[in-house]
Amino acid sequence: MTQVQVSLLGVIIAIIFTISMGGILWWMLHPPPQIKPEVARARRSVETLKRILVPTSGKPYSERGIELACRLGAEHQAEIVLTYVIEIPRTMPLDAPMPEAEEKANQALNRGKEIVELHHLPPVLLIEKAREAGEGIIRAAKDNQADVIVLGMRTSLRGVQSLWGRTTDTLLRKAPCEVIIDKLPEEG
Amino acid sequence: MREKIKESIGQGKSELRRDVSVWGSYMWGFADVGADTYVALGLVMAYAQGATSLVFALAGIVYIMIGLAYTELASSYPVAGGGSYFTLRGLGDFWGFVAGSALILDYTIDIALFATASAGYLNFFMPFVIGREISSFVTTIGPFHNINPVWCAETLILIGFLIWLNIRGIRESSFVNEVIGAVVIATESALVILAFLFAWNPELLAYQWSTQFPSLHNFMYGSSIAIISFVGLESISEVAQETRRPATVIPRTSITLIFTVFIFAVAFSTLGLGILPWQVFAENIDNPIAVLAEAIPFVGLIAGPFAAALGALILFISSNTGIVGSSRLTYYLSKFGIISSWFDAVHPKYKTPIRTILVFSGIGLIETVLSFLTPSAMDTLANMYAFGATLGYTLVFIALIRLRFSEPWTPRPYKMPLNIKLKYKGRKVLFPVLGVIGTLGVGTILFMVVLTHSIGRIAGPAWVILCFCYYVWYRKSQKFPIFKSIEHNWEKQQMEVLSSAEEFDLLEQYKNALAERDKKRVDLK
Repeated sequence: MTQVQVSLLGVIIAIIFTISMGGILWWMLHPPPQIKPEVARARRSVETLKRILVPTSGKPYSERGIELACRLGAEHQAEIVLTYVIEIPRTMPLDAPMPEAEEKANQALNRGKEIVELHHLPPVLLIEKAREAGEGIIRAAKDNQADVIVLGMRTSLRGVQSLWGRTTDTLLRKAPCEVIIDKLPEEG
Repeated sequence: MREKIKESIGQGKSELRRDVSVWGSYMWGFADVGADTYVALGLVMAYAQGATSLVFALAGIVYIMIGLAYTELASSYPVAGGGSYFTLRGLGDFWGFVAGSALILDYTIDIALFATASAGYLNFFMPFVIGREISSFVTTIGPFHNINPVWCAETLILIGFLIWLNIRGIRESSFVNEVIGAVVIATESALVILAFLFAWNPELLAYQWSTQFPSLHNFMYGSSIAIISFVGLESISEVAQETRRPATVIPRTSITLIFTVFIFAVAFSTLGLGILPWQVFAENIDNPIAVLAEAIPFVGLIAGPFAAALGALILFISSNTGIVGSSRLTYYLSKFGIISSWFDAVHPKYKTPIRTILVFSGIGLIETVLSFLTPSAMDTLANMYAFGATLGYTLVFIALIRLRFSEPWTPRPYKMPLNIKLKYKGRKVLFPVLGVIGTLGVGTILFMVVLTHSIGRIAGPAWVILCFCYYVWYRKSQKFPIFKSIEHNWEKQQMEVLSSAEEFDLLEQYKNALAERDKKRVDLK
């Protein structure tokens, strides 16, 4: 047996050894709780949303829809497909030039793009021409194989015949994928 | 007639029971690796001298990379078979067989070597029990000199006991591991803490480092022995199919194992050089930890017999992990058409792979008898130990890299750090930089082992060639290709395994990943 030999470095190493051994064994013995199959299915089903289509009109409620879509897709780096639908009157051909509407569409899409880029997600900008907005959104969703459509709804539905509004009605009936609708409460 | 290969590995009547807990999973690994350090410290000191801590740290870095690779693979593919399964899945049947044969060699050597060493520690008490030293039984039998039949018989009895224990079932033998392992960890931790507090002299360490640095040859030889002291990580993945929630548990137990074994190895070597001259350990190669414990104030008086008992215990459970590992590995190999399905039988009552336990523990018994016919059984067995491990680990690293490219969609609960994002065939792939460094590191050690270990470089490849002859015979008899792979339904198996393991979160991730892959394939068409 050797003589007692105490050194400051030895004491420090002994303390570090004790804390680190205790810490890692505690961490090992406390794994996360088990997840039930139903819970796992629900949790992971959101991961399949890799392409999110967001219709925008340049209004605050639709831009809030873009922000929500970005947060939904952020974890799995989903592609955000921003779509502006120009409604063409039935009296005009579908490919008729609409310079003013197109300018407005580009402005709305560029604002949306800024929101998407803040989340470091890949944006895709689309301008669709259709007789009705709902029809254009559905076509864009099919063409781009969207996994989900996130729609920000206007806050006031006064004067609208349907509870949801015409575009939302069409989407709920005919959308080829999941639809998430965001509606804020009416102000005042 | 061709044997029907049953690859339903997660379900069915022959399913292995899921009885191994978090602590049990950790202990399967620690029982194997912890004992290595216990035996190797003196050997490494004899060659690495004042640089022993450095040698352990360098070998430990390679070991950490091996450990991280196993952590990624075992949590992604929680199936019995360990390194051989990963190699088979990544590189195909033939390379899976090569890795399997190398690792079986190691497991059977593990049984023989650690049972021999355990009996050696028990013999410390022989003078107190029967009044004779074990060395007094040494004799000559025909052309064989320096034979110790009593020590050999003790070893055979220990292995026989372990065979019985393992046939009874994993719950019983896992319990033995868990209890003994806990005692060992507590005792080793106490020794380290007391030694650093009351016996360690940093000036002595610095003196030995600066004046007793080894030659390059000794440094390299010491390194090749030091890597032996880290062999055994495989054990955790071998019992993956019997572990509860393996994808969650295995990353935790593996990372904890890597950390604790590395810390113990470096701590003991650092303590050794800071308490006694390295020559003392070189003179006591059989019981270096006991020598170290004896030098600690307050506990030194009882440390000798206590360290001997502790050594016997940890080496005993290490031998047990050899039996478990080899039996599980061969059980799995038979499932995948690498060896005959005759090995596939599970005991009707205990649900343990009885034939593989008997056959490969039997090989361990034969290796024990043969090694006792040489002048030093321990030397002979230890010499063969490194070859199988380093060959198997090299193939595992290559398989890890290949699987990142061939199955990028497989959910990996844990990934090796340091990855480079690449595009490969239109898919995003994470290229594992550490995997490449690990391949080079362990490949270098394999080269050093072949260069410096005279028995290992002959017996190791000879074993693989012998297994290859059997492999050719079996595959031809079944009309299976020898160098090509038979068809495996990996995806179905993976889902069965995850489902039976109740890893539902990972199962959903896997299903989603496959659906996305299929969608992309349709898009490309």
